[in-house]
Amino acid sequence: MIETRHLSKTYSRGLYALQDLSLTVGKGEFVFLTGPSGAGKSTFLRLLLLQDRPTEGEILVNGHDLAALSRRDIQEYRRGVGFIFQDFKLIQTRTVLENVSFVPEVLGMPVAQQRRRAFQVLKWVGLQHRATAYPHDLSGGEQQRVAIARALVNDPYLILADEPTGNLDPDLSLEIMNLLREVNAGGTTVLVATHDRELIRLVGRRTISLEQGRVAEVS
Amino acid sequence: MRTLDYALREGWRGLRRSGVAGALATAATGLAMLVLGAMLLVTSNVERLMAQWSTTAEFSVFLRDDATSEQRGLIESEIDRSGIAAGRVYLSKADALIRFRREFSDLDAIAASLEDNPFPASIEVRVGPEAERDGRTTAAVERISSLSGVADVRYDRAWLTALNTGLRAVRGVGFALALLVALAAAATVASVVRLGLQSRHQEVEIMQLVGSPVAFIQGPFVAEGLLQGGLGALGAVALLAAGYFSGMRWWAGGVSAVLDGARLQFLSPMLLSLLVLGGMLVGALGGFVASRHAR
Repeated sequence: MIETRHLSKTYSRGLYALQDLSLTVGKGEFVFLTGPSGAGKSTFLRLLLLQDRPTEGEILVNGHDLAALSRRDIQEYRRGVGFIFQDFKLIQTRTVLENVSFVPEVLGMPVAQQRRRAFQVLKWVGLQHRATAYPHDLSGGEQQRVAIARALVNDPYLILADEPTGNLDPDLSLEIMNLLREVNAGGTTVLVATHDRELIRLVGRRTISLEQGRVAEVS
Repeated sequence: MRTLDYALREGWRGLRRSGVAGALATAATGLAMLVLGAMLLVTSNVERLMAQWSTTAEFSVFLRDDATSEQRGLIESEIDRSGIAAGRVYLSKADALIRFRREFSDLDAIAASLEDNPFPASIEVRVGPEAERDGRTTAAVERISSLSGVADVRYDRAWLTALNTGLRAVRGVGFALALLVALAAAATVASVVRLGLQSRHQEVEIMQLVGSPVAFIQGPFVAEGLLQGGLGALGAVALLAAGYFSGMRWWAGGVSAVLDGARLQFLSPMLLSLLVLGGMLVGALGGFVASRHAR
């Protein structure tokens, strides 16, 4: 699903965020990306989301060379990728249902279909009863479940999660991981960047450890 | 259609959220359209009056006192041959004196005390509108002036030419001013839309990340500018109408009588529509410029 070849990303003054990174994530796999702060986890996810461009090397996702994508192709590619962030990135002025239906709405889906699909995924994450609440009325765990619902609403083939449990306590973190495991069980590839070793141990999936922008260990 | 519906809905939401800043941008666009509208209102009325005066133009050929009837016949033949005259009237010396005494009755005593009639005989020529427009009159007047028996030809078009030149200058300055104010309005709209863009950066980021089409990302900001511009222009039209009706009272109070009952006219529905469209365009341009980096 994801393959990188000699991937490097340098910032100003020649500092490497990623250095000669070559790794593979198989289709339908659940993989943790771990390492200390500054190891390059978030940079790697930013490159996968095409929020940034690599300095060197190649990234292939689902057979597509990301460097060769046109603007229209980028839009198409992103429609197949769900994302989850540590800070949830929910729109505070919209209700839970609107936050989730926002994705199909801006992709031009008819209103009735948007609502139906949004309600389905909210039910799946167990938040159908909070559909009309605003994000500031929800707990951290609930907000992250809304973010997961938003990531799933478009039936992505790949989920990228950047420290999805960074703002949550251990019980809620495990709850979120269980949700992601269920998503993965449905065939979606999941790549989770986290520095929470305990959580990785509890979930027990393949783990790629980064250190100073390089692969330090695969376990 | 869904994109347009979404853009207008979100644009309206953005406009309502923009508060005082949005009202200022709307007022700036309104001011630009008010300047343009006022200029159009003044120049269109002056142009109409000038066209009216041009079509009723005439000139007078004053005859020498010693002009013979043959010379007068030749002059009249030349006027008829030139094809510029819609009509002509011969005014003898005696007729000229009678007209003077009738039109200037206050000076009747002076006129009565004159030993000799000082007024020359003349031929008054009413010029056809097409001859006035294509400039044949000037050439004919020059020819007639050179005929023997002619003392003078009075064809005073200088003031109309001067008025026309002044009108062109007013129009030029007005357009330049309107363009300048419109650019300033577009810049104000752009600033306000940029503020809205910053407050909605998370929405924009999410839209980019989910692969939303550019029209969905940029559309609401362009629509917000368009609505600001449109509302500003509608306000300008309302102010113009209020100004026009106030001006009408002043005009009817005396100016109209001085100018042979000339009447003022408001801008045509077509021009008013163009004015509103212009405001919308200025606003949309500001919105587009402000949001071009959001794509």
